[in-house]
Amino acid sequence: MTSLLNTVLSALEQIVLEVTDTDTGTVKWLEGDSEWTNNLFPKLDSQKTFVINQESPFLLDFLIDARQIWDKSENCKLRSGLWTEITQNNKELHLEAIAIKQEQRNLLVISNQLENFTHQQNTKQLAREVLLSYDRLFLKNEYLHTRLLSILKQPVEQSNILATLAKVIENAEFAVLVASNDFSTCIENSAALTLFEQGTLKNTSTPRAIDIIIKLMKNQLPEYERILTTNSSWDGELCWILPPSTLKWLKIGLYPVKNKFNDVENWIVFANDISTIKHLTQRNEQLALQDMLTELPNRFSFLQVLEKHVASNQPFYLLYVDINDFRQHNEFYGHDEGDKLLIEFAQRIKHVVKTSDFIARVGGDEFAIILSNVDNKAACSSAIQGMVNNISKPFYTNKAEHFHVSVSIGAANFPNDAESAEELMKFVDLSAYNGKATKKNSVLFYSKSMKDASHDLLKIEQELRQAIKNNEFELYLQPIIDIKDNSINKAEALIRWNHPDRGIVSPDGFIAIAEKSGLIISIGEWVINRACQIARELDLKGFDIKISINLSPSQVADANLFSYLRTCIHDSQINPSLLELEVTEDVLVDDYSVAEKLLSKARMIGMSVSVDDFGTGYSSLSYLKKLPLDYLKIDRSFINEIVTDDNDKAIVRAVIAMAHNLNLCVIAEGVETPEQLSFLVDNSCNSVQGYMFSRPVQLAYFIKLLNEQKNIN
Amino acid sequence: MIQKKICLLGASSVGKTSLVKRFVEGIFSEKYLTTIGVKIDKKTLSIANKEMNLLLWDMEGNDSYNVFQERYLRGAAGYIIVVDQTRASSLLEGIDIHTLARQVTNCPAILAINKSDLLATWHLDDSEHQAYQNIFDLEFLTSAKTGKNVEQMFSSLAELLLKCEKNDITT
Repeated sequence: MTSLLNTVLSALEQIVLEVTDTDTGTVKWLEGDSEWTNNLFPKLDSQKTFVINQESPFLLDFLIDARQIWDKSENCKLRSGLWTEITQNNKELHLEAIAIKQEQRNLLVISNQLENFTHQQNTKQLAREVLLSYDRLFLKNEYLHTRLLSILKQPVEQSNILATLAKVIENAEFAVLVASNDFSTCIENSAALTLFEQGTLKNTSTPRAIDIIIKLMKNQLPEYERILTTNSSWDGELCWILPPSTLKWLKIGLYPVKNKFNDVENWIVFANDISTIKHLTQRNEQLALQDMLTELPNRFSFLQVLEKHVASNQPFYLLYVDINDFRQHNEFYGHDEGDKLLIEFAQRIKHVVKTSDFIARVGGDEFAIILSNVDNKAACSSAIQGMVNNISKPFYTNKAEHFHVSVSIGAANFPNDAESAEELMKFVDLSAYNGKATKKNSVLFYSKSMKDASHDLLKIEQELRQAIKNNEFELYLQPIIDIKDNSINKAEALIRWNHPDRGIVSPDGFIAIAEKSGLIISIGEWVINRACQIARELDLKGFDIKISINLSPSQVADANLFSYLRTCIHDSQINPSLLELEVTEDVLVDDYSVAEKLLSKARMIGMSVSVDDFGTGYSSLSYLKKLPLDYLKIDRSFINEIVTDDNDKAIVRAVIAMAHNLNLCVIAEGVETPEQLSFLVDNSCNSVQGYMFSRPVQLAYFIKLLNEQKNIN
Repeated sequence: MIQKKICLLGASSVGKTSLVKRFVEGIFSEKYLTTIGVKIDKKTLSIANKEMNLLLWDMEGNDSYNVFQERYLRGAAGYIIVVDQTRASSLLEGIDIHTLARQVTNCPAILAINKSDLLATWHLDDSEHQAYQNIFDLEFLTSAKTGKNVEQMFSSLAELLLKCEKNDITT
């Protein structure tokens, strides 16, 4: 029996030692015998005990942990982890020790782990080389992307852009292309020419690199259409096969360069040949199908599984989960924190889906999930709710700062919404994209009407662009009455769109789209410019009337806003005190420091500042104290019921008292009846605005009102 | 003879093994071979007429495939956090490891900014330098490839350990 055991242990490359004195580390050889054992323990003798000493420092250190095992009375064991021992004759042994307590005996097993070591080394070697390669690629791409954007965004007259671009991209180690908006013209570097070289015969035309990339995207990316129509950026992997001899894996980055009308003027395209990396990963099946960062299946693996589900013909739901504002998160906390977020995010989703479901990372901050055996919307919604609940809990940075993320989830059903993997991917991508505007957690199920609505939105966006160019906007003015002397001393500027077909469109019909598409900056600039002209005109007519301009969140965040304001004020030769900036509470709270800087500068040159829609948003009193403000505008929703609702009465009284304590004046919006006015007068409100006095009116009518007022006085 | 345990810590592929190889065997290999588990090398130095045997615990780099294990620091007289000057992320990872290590030991710690023969992709500005000087006992810009500062780093650490030992005796 002992001889058989010995043979087995030798085959397993293990030896068993009995620990005779745990304090001194004295051991006695029991079983197992191989050549390596003598190299490790030259003094090994079946008859004698020996002490594990400094000759083997790792093992000596492990004895400290092992003692805790041997001191126990119940059976248990502890592994040391792998270590490499250099023997006296300079041989390397890859070993692991196991401390065992078994039936009151203290045992130490030493196992030669050469096979396991070699396997681990091969796998981790590959994985780490791949990680390093991606790391390098990422850094190079990031650097060049920033550099190119800064060049392309320079005013045309200030630089010889083409020459500068060509120079900058020429030295890049990977293919770089800068194409026009329709990809018709394109400059590219030598690396691009080499990468897409086809070795074609003389006199035959070679397709351009950009055309090859676009064709590959069209054929391999269900999201392609949406990316181009929404001017989005994309990065991912494409496979270029050109028989008989070309098979290249390309890592492509496609980034739009937009002008102030949010039109794409250029596309920057990066193409890196990652065939070697792919080849490395494909040597290991697990690595080829796995996302290295989150350890979830990757896009390639996901598409395979999705095809299988479609082929099986069983109903299921496909979800596309996109983390909102991930790029901003990366920029704010750094890429390492971004990676950490992705890993934890993946874990959180994984924890709530069933084992029969399939989850994968299909893009930078995008995950896709197949909910197997879910055939109705209610069951799908409840599964999604579980995910959202888990994602809504706070995340923590390495420095223990907590933050929240929100997601846009698109969902589509097989076979009701689409019957092919490609269409399903296209639809969930579109649904998730449509939900993004809210910046909150959103879940959108795909529907035909959504597709139509999405087209309508694009149409309005296009029309808005034309409207800016064709000067189709007009500023209406709504008088604001100073209660003290019952006269108009201010007007709120409100934009209207004179649509060529639909007539006058109010802001509700287009501002949200303008905000989402970035056109709000141009529209906002038009408003500022026009407001300055109006202030000038009124001033010349002898009216001392302040014009109040609404600022959207994007405008407040726009670094050029203040200099634009100053230029307009200068050009129209008005006193800055004739302008007032209106911002909503949410803008102040969302981006406190940016808002604070802007408003301070505005007040410094003499403009005033008011908080619009007060009471409907966050209503943080702390920012009211800190921010440079002049007026609070109480939202119309409180004024509506002010005569009958005791709560509204109390709120309005409290707001007025608080504002006065902070040296702020109060304007009540939406005043429509004498009773409302009387309450406000009795409670020392400073100004009022509403239909009781006037609707928003065109400039000519506003001047008429001012003239009438002048005549009465 | 005095014997001291020194641990080499850091993200994967920053050059921990190469630094040990350069110091112990005086050679450098361009081929990257990832370390698995722990490997212990020994080298005897003569410091102030005293022989000191350094046990160099070269640890597998930390990344998503291998998390940092504090227990290997047990009994360490000092440790070296190795970072790669061509990868900014390795510095952040190094600092994270240092923070974890500080929870279990107060022994001297060295920052080795390795691969100084290659073009740096990040630099410490003055204030960062100042900050790191406060959290590390010594800092070296090393190259396992050219050998720059490698010997000096280990010798300085040995001297520091000797000094600590003397102080211990005095106190």
